[in-house]
Amino acid sequence: MEQRDMIHQYLKELERYLARLEKAQAQEVLKEIESHIFDVLEQQQGSGQVVDASAILQGFGEPRQLAFAYIAHITDGAPPPAGFKAIQKVKQGVTATLYYTMAAFGFSIAFALLFVAGAKIFMPDSVGAWSAGNGNSLAIGFFASPYPADQELLGAWFIPVAIFSALLVITLTRKVLRVLKNNM
Amino acid sequence: MTIEEKEEKTQEKWEVQLRKGTLELVILAALRHRTLYGLELLKLLQSFKSAAITEGTLYPLLDRLKREGIVDAQWVQEGDVRPRKYYSLTTTGHHKLADLITLWRQSVFDIEFLLAHPGPDVLPVQGE
Repeated sequence: MEQRDMIHQYLKELERYLARLEKAQAQEVLKEIESHIFDVLEQQQGSGQVVDASAILQGFGEPRQLAFAYIAHITDGAPPPAGFKAIQKVKQGVTATLYYTMAAFGFSIAFALLFVAGAKIFMPDSVGAWSAGNGNSLAIGFFASPYPADQELLGAWFIPVAIFSALLVITLTRKVLRVLKNNM
Repeated sequence: MTIEEKEEKTQEKWEVQLRKGTLELVILAALRHRTLYGLELLKLLQSFKSAAITEGTLYPLLDRLKREGIVDAQWVQEGDVRPRKYYSLTTTGHHKLADLITLWRQSVFDIEFLLAHPGPDVLPVQGE
């Protein structure tokens, strides 16, 4: 079982590095490699040899390197002219800045949502979602002099809605960050 | 590093270069009038001293050859075994192989010619 775990781990990692290929293409690569590995594994089992997944995987090399060989034609498609290294550096810097800005932005919104959800428990009258200006604007949050309580939209529902939104924002942020990281 | 070790290393490098340079020809030759799946092809290549390559070299190369329309690939499911991806040459592949064979034979011919005519005699100019 441990052998199979090792193989699945390898394929999972490979899949992550193949993210730049089209999904169908990446799946095809994975399917072929998986078929090869299990073929060899079964042949070893069939002939009474010691089953050695790590030896098989070694032939494929590191997942990152293997994936690189598959995506090299995309990366190499338009190589920047010599001397343009500086521009690449700047681009990388922008991606890194974007990555951390995105992280700060997403997680702080999620944190704020969780915070108001918690505050609603203790100060139900000061926290909530109000429709203001005859429905032309929506105010969500924590107010020192709250809008009239009877116009509050969600009541106790505010808490689960805010928590759910926070989780959603966290999930989305993480997804975006993963994509950014892959392209860094 | 001793001189022997250095020589061995240089020889190894040359072998690697030679294998790299001839790999495409070797794969196309192996697939001539034959349809093989990856593992079969790998085992076939590994049975030759000068063509032993790893899985990590073979599969991405097959992927490139497929993208270039030199080989065709097809998934085949036989009985209970898991599906396998079989490779064969396309018409373009056959033409490419013919070109590579010409180049290869010329190269072997030239080298053999040089080897067969050591100094100090003047080298007879070819084609005369």
